[in-house]
Amino acid sequence: MNNKLQQRIIIFSFLLIPVTLMLLFLIYPTIQLFHYSFTDWNGYSKSMTNIGFDNYKKLFLDFPDAWQAIRNNGIYFLIHTLAIPLELMTAVLLNRTLRGSSFFRFTVLMPYIINGVAVGYMFSYFYNPINGPLNGLLHGLGLDFMIKGWLSDLHIVNYSLVAVSLWRFCGVHVILFLAGLQSVPADLYEAAQLDGAGFWKQLRYVTIPGIRRVIEIILFLNVSGALLQYDIPYVMTGGGPGTASSTFGLFSLQTAFTFNNYGLASAMAVSLLLLIVVFSGLQNWIIKDRSE
Amino acid sequence: MELSAKKRGALASGATYYGNFILMTAIVFIPILLVVFGSFKTEQELGATSPFSLPANWFNLDNYINAYHDGGMLVGLKNTVLLVAGSLLGNVLLGTMTAYILNRFDFKLKKAVIALFLLAMIIPAYTTEIARFQLIHALHLYNSLGAPTMIYIGTDIMQIYIYIQFLEKISTQLDESAMLDGATYFRIFRSIIFPLLLPATATLGILKSVTIMNDIYVQNLYMPNKHLATLPTSLMSFVSERSSNLPELCAGIMLVLLPSIIFYIVFQRYIFKGLMDGAVKG
Repeated sequence: MNNKLQQRIIIFSFLLIPVTLMLLFLIYPTIQLFHYSFTDWNGYSKSMTNIGFDNYKKLFLDFPDAWQAIRNNGIYFLIHTLAIPLELMTAVLLNRTLRGSSFFRFTVLMPYIINGVAVGYMFSYFYNPINGPLNGLLHGLGLDFMIKGWLSDLHIVNYSLVAVSLWRFCGVHVILFLAGLQSVPADLYEAAQLDGAGFWKQLRYVTIPGIRRVIEIILFLNVSGALLQYDIPYVMTGGGPGTASSTFGLFSLQTAFTFNNYGLASAMAVSLLLLIVVFSGLQNWIIKDRSE
Repeated sequence: MELSAKKRGALASGATYYGNFILMTAIVFIPILLVVFGSFKTEQELGATSPFSLPANWFNLDNYINAYHDGGMLVGLKNTVLLVAGSLLGNVLLGTMTAYILNRFDFKLKKAVIALFLLAMIIPAYTTEIARFQLIHALHLYNSLGAPTMIYIGTDIMQIYIYIQFLEKISTQLDESAMLDGATYFRIFRSIIFPLLLPATATLGILKSVTIMNDIYVQNLYMPNKHLATLPTSLMSFVSERSSNLPELCAGIMLVLLPSIIFYIVFQRYIFKGLMDGAVKG
């Protein structure tokens, strides 16, 4: 068999299945999603009517629940963003090899690895209104006035859920920061020390520029994580009470599969997709290295 | 004097260090411990005692037995294992194959294929689920292990990039000398490339397993049949049926947590390596 032919055969046969699967399960549904978003389809009837931008109009002008949901995503985003400097500091501390550092590393990543549904129910128990550990703790500390319906109070439920999200996802950021820190050459720090740079100056001029790539990844994960936030509210509150703790992703899936409004749900999903792309792009532009 | 000031500084920074981490360890472990306590208590005991108090009888396994029976955890475990094994097998084969072609060959449509994979990477998970649902129905995969398996295999673009990174470090001279010995491309892939990618495969496979074990959406949506329940979905149906019995809920949580904790303890080295490689090289 000549070489050229053999090459063609292997390229074709090796790529056939992966490319087909990707087109079928990723690209085709995305195109379909755009298509559905311009129709009034209910998910089961044979016909669908093209209704132009009506779904988008409804979504932006006449759908307060969707706005509420996206505001909730905003809460996840803000609080997680505020946690990032703390995560970086934890990673800086972990980067020193003191006794026990490998155990701490193990501990810090554990919430991310263990089963998410179990974590959700674990915190449902933690927040339980009747003899739940959190209220028990507050009672024990004499802080009875702080006892709340953590998952039933409209004003608190989102913060209760964000706390679980922080518990679950902070660790993975710490580990990613740690990976970045370990890739910064040690002699840079020595040189900085010789020049008399203290801890903060080293952080500002050596560490942060050295881990720019990891910072980019974490900021991207932070945006997409906050916008796609789904499991925790789904498991713990189902988006309730009412739609108070629904996130945009959860809400769009409910719109499709519970309320059979595929057209509107698709418009929501398309908006979410575009939002993630735009937001991440914007964020990268903001933190772009402009020194060159 | 100078020295003692330094010593005092080291002591203070040591205290901050350990203080921080003891706090952190407490935050991570206390919720888990509380569930452990709860899982060994009787219903009356849980109602009457503080959630922080130790259970009266550490050998009270009734809650576990009930949760195990009524929750169908064994079926869940079986399906989770099948799902992970099937997806890993497909992922490893197709991932290494794709990476081999994209790294080692030049061909007409290469740019197009790479562009396609890049495009696929920015599409966020489950925004497309609404449309994918119809496709799964049309392919008659609904309510079968095939649906999630195909989705997990078909949509993991990240691993292809990581495999390519690894392949770049494997010298092409190896391929060339095998060619001179008359090996076919397929033979090169099977005897050289695939074995050399095994360390990367171990790490990627373990990370992929974690992702699959933690995913609820796809499993919940495409396999509502009770016989196809996985660990997370069987916990979900168990809770929705009897959420008022807190000790049994705690036992159910523990039954689902334990496999992932054991998995984490056994494979932690690879998990760290995978996350760290991904972050620095990705």
